[in-house]
Amino acid sequence: MKRTLFIIKLIFILLILALAIFPVILSSHSWPVVSRDYLYENALSDTGAVNTVSSIYLGYRAMDTLGETLVLLVSITGTMGILINLGRENEEEEAVSFSLAPEKRATNAQRTHLLEVVASKLGPVVLLFGFYVMLYGHISPGGGFQGGVIVASAIVFLALGTETQTKLTNTNVLGRIESLSFLVLIIAATSGVFFESGFFGNPIKSGSSLSANFIILLNIIIGLKVGTSIAVMCIAMMGGRRGH
Amino acid sequence: MTILLLFLILALGSFALLSRDLLHSVIALSALSMLSALMFTILKAPDVAITEAAVGAGISTIIFVWAIRHTRRRSKD
Amino acid sequence: MVIERILIFLLALVGFSAIVGAKNIIKKVFGLNILNAAVVLLYILEGSRIGEQAPILGEGVTTIVDPVPQALMLTAIVIGVCVTALALALAVRLYKATGSLEIDTISERLRSEH
Repeated sequence: MKRTLFIIKLIFILLILALAIFPVILSSHSWPVVSRDYLYENALSDTGAVNTVSSIYLGYRAMDTLGETLVLLVSITGTMGILINLGRENEEEEAVSFSLAPEKRATNAQRTHLLEVVASKLGPVVLLFGFYVMLYGHISPGGGFQGGVIVASAIVFLALGTETQTKLTNTNVLGRIESLSFLVLIIAATSGVFFESGFFGNPIKSGSSLSANFIILLNIIIGLKVGTSIAVMCIAMMGGRRGH
Repeated sequence: MTILLLFLILALGSFALLSRDLLHSVIALSALSMLSALMFTILKAPDVAITEAAVGAGISTIIFVWAIRHTRRRSKD
Repeated sequence: MVIERILIFLLALVGFSAIVGAKNIIKKVFGLNILNAAVVLLYILEGSRIGEQAPILGEGVTTIVDPVPQALMLTAIVIGVCVTALALALAVRLYKATGSLEIDTISERLRSEH
């Protein structure tokens, strides 16, 4: 009885929501073309990036990108805080680890040699592709966010495989890279103030051929920031190698 | 083409919520992200397609599998 | 055009009903993800109506699609995965504290403790 009442209430709420959004579905108002035309004419000369999406989130609205990295930082910090408390309360439980000890490997059917060998071979290739996407974000599809997430999955691949022992899966090293890249991001953001182009402005004068270099620099910094922070979170979730 | 893809996405989303095995739901969500990435490519948004493919099918699946491994796999409804 | 909007709206309704109606906490997080996907799909679909080419300037590129919604949704996807991670960490913490994922059982057990 309680369940039926709940379902009736739910259907009622959904119907009211549908009624409220119904005019939006039927509207025939066309999408405005003003911003598209402005960007088509001015984006290349203003920021130096051929990819218009890059020129928006690193040139015109770079402030939003700074806020987005701050949100990322806060949410990763919260997740890591909860994770550390989880580990402390359940120390008697068997830790779920990326790399099984060799004597346990025979009994655990879920982790096979196939996974470990393939993951450790695939990791460097994916890492290279991530850096390619990150570095060529101004002339082709890609950029800091995309490259950063691909780099994060490459680091997870490297952590899954046992063949290659690398410093990249150590959370201490990753955390240092993250803090360093955030510091460089702040310095790059304020550097425009001293060169008469404002906060997050391009310190190199626009119009010269060096104009795209600032976009490339921001792409690298944001890619490192996003990639390392997501990789730290994933490795800590799997209970991987904690640096000592 | 986009209508067909949207029907598939809707079916996968409904399956993810109706299935009683949470691991099956996670795989359905991963497939939903891949179909979304395909649709973004058709709609001329390659940047968003790269992000959606890497985030939805890669990182998000890792996090969900971690959570299900630490909790219970079966759901009551 | 109307059919696509209706389908995306149905997808958003599926996500919303999961957030409100599902009893399992992890299914609520599924609902958040589906709602996020529906919003991203709607923005990209509406923004792609005014052009035929990807927003990368070059020779022969005359009518590009609107790049503004793409730049917005790029940020939204990355924020979405952060929200998912935080919500799932909280769900696992709640499971360790109460031993269940169903919201009715959780509220009963929390009430009986105090």
